Amino acid sequence: MTGPDAPAALRATGLGFRYRARGGWALRDCEFTVPCGRVTAIVGRNGVGKSTLLHLAGGLLRARRGELRVLDVVPGTPEARARVALLTQDKPLYPRFTVADTLLMGEKLNTSWDRAAAENTVREGDIPLTARVGELSPGQRTRVALALALGKRPELLLLDEPMADLDPVARGEIMATLMTEAADHGTSIVLSSHVLPELETTCDWVLLLRNGRVELSEDADALRESHAVLTGHADQEELLTGPADRASLPTGPAGRTDTPAGRHTVVHRRVGVRQMTALVRQRGPLRGDWHVERPSLENILIGYLQAADPQGPALAERTEAAA
Amino acid sequence: MNGSLWLAWRQQRTLVGAGAAVLAAAAALAAYYRSGMLDALRTGLFDHCDPGPLYCARGDTGSPLLLDIQPLQYLGALNIVLPVLIGVFWGAPLLGRDRELGTHRVILAQGVSRGQWFASRFALAAVTATALSGLLAAVFAWWWRPAADRSYGLFWYETSALSGSGPRVVAAALFGLAAGTLLGLLARRVLAAMGLTLLATGVMTLVLEWTHKTRLLVAPHTYVSAGIAPKPLMGEKWTTGNYGLITASGRHDDVLNCPFPSGAELRACMDRHGYVARFYEANPAGDYWTFQWIDTAVLGGLAVLLTVVTVLLLRRRV
Repeated sequence: MTGPDAPAALRATGLGFRYRARGGWALRDCEFTVPCGRVTAIVGRNGVGKSTLLHLAGGLLRARRGELRVLDVVPGTPEARARVALLTQDKPLYPRFTVADTLLMGEKLNTSWDRAAAENTVREGDIPLTARVGELSPGQRTRVALALALGKRPELLLLDEPMADLDPVARGEIMATLMTEAADHGTSIVLSSHVLPELETTCDWVLLLRNGRVELSEDADALRESHAVLTGHADQEELLTGPADRASLPTGPAGRTDTPAGRHTVVHRRVGVRQMTALVRQRGPLRGDWHVERPSLENILIGYLQAADPQGPALAERTEAAA
Repeated sequence: MNGSLWLAWRQQRTLVGAGAAVLAAAAALAAYYRSGMLDALRTGLFDHCDPGPLYCARGDTGSPLLLDIQPLQYLGALNIVLPVLIGVFWGAPLLGRDRELGTHRVILAQGVSRGQWFASRFALAAVTATALSGLLAAVFAWWWRPAADRSYGLFWYETSALSGSGPRVVAAALFGLAAGTLLGLLARRVLAAMGLTLLATGVMTLVLEWTHKTRLLVAPHTYVSAGIAPKPLMGEKWTTGNYGLITASGRHDDVLNCPFPSGAELRACMDRHGYVARFYEANPAGDYWTFQWIDTAVLGGLAVLLTVVTVLLLRRRV
């Protein structure tokens, strides 16, 4: 499924993007493949490039370096526009259009349009078609924007923070609509979200970004199986990373597969006076006396998000020296 | 293309309607006042009037004879400010509204490319602006014709006629639209774009008026008469106000050196100073078209230039 020739919803090779010619890189050296038919969560802290990545995939931005392909076509081409739908974070709609006008706009602007699907999406939210978009609540507006995206029957649906301004009930409803869409039509969905608990049951692929780089692009179940939360005596830490010189090993958040078997990767650890808790990517059997728990996807993602930056410690030292 | 054109129409139909209403009102007023003007001319009161800048008096009472041309001048004024109005209310929001709301991202995420999005909305606006300005200029020309270049009417060089009629009105309208569109793309805020457009189109309008007054782009002709021979009639020419005397060596001097209209005093004064001829500077009536085509070229060229810049920036800015 994930081989280089399998159909991919998103495939990045050496992808780099910066907003200004002399600005910093919003994304750099991104190399990943998201298979088709998945519900993918793009996770990362604020400003790591989630929206940039989705805008690139939606064809609103162009890659400065490398390449990003959606459904094996270049984003922004007529073919890509017909097969990919993008819902941006601000969900902009014309406030003076009625809901019916907005859906009619979708019908006029797209080569294929499923009017029933669009109208059903709106109707499920009890939104009258005659209402003006400007008078709707944020949740209703999201639903109209989603109807606009679903009406074109996309093969790939890109959603940037779709739940950001919704109450919990509306979130559940929208998520249900999305899951139905994915189940009924095999639509690939890529969404960015900060609401980690919701991803637990819905997402089966995770793309984790840090500082414009891709840190994880993996199946959610594989992540759950390969990670463990260990609790034990603090002086056992050596046993996790193996007998080799610890300094030469990636102790940070590098979930790389080139770590030798038997040496687990400590993603994140919290050390108390005598006890430590660590999220590790397990490779082979554990040594030492540990209480082992299977983490939830949320725990794993939080562990990765909390893990110190590669540049982090150096930066901290510098700050201390300066102080 | 059909879809983006539908959207362009859906968003601009109010403006198209407003433009049509303005045009209908202007045409109705023109028809009303023009027929009044023709009735006045048919009374025969004006028949003895010569063309020329001096007003024509009634034979019996001696009071000046004038047609009611003020409404016509108002239409000329409307035509002059048309680029400002079109730029501020049509050009600035054309891309600026979408830029402010971010709605272009929704549009471009549908099956529409940047090029189609821009082309259809700009084309609709440009076609409407051309039709509106062209018809308003035509209404002006039709209304003006019976009173054109008459002492009781409106001379070609008066601001409302020179700048409020002819092809320059169309070019100015397109310039206003292009300037507003570009500023809407750059400013990101409709209100800011409107303010900048007001400034840009207003300044451009005033600059062109200034070039008219100073004859910067259309040099006046110098009319010379030898000795005290009568000067050629001013007629419908547009004087620069610069007239005077010429010495044998060809030097031009101010008229105040010999401020006499004619006769022995003038001859004596001219002999005393060594003047051999008199002159004045003016633009003949035919220069109306020179002014028109130069303005049209300047404004039309700017409109094309600004549109090209907009298209080039579109890819990077949107």
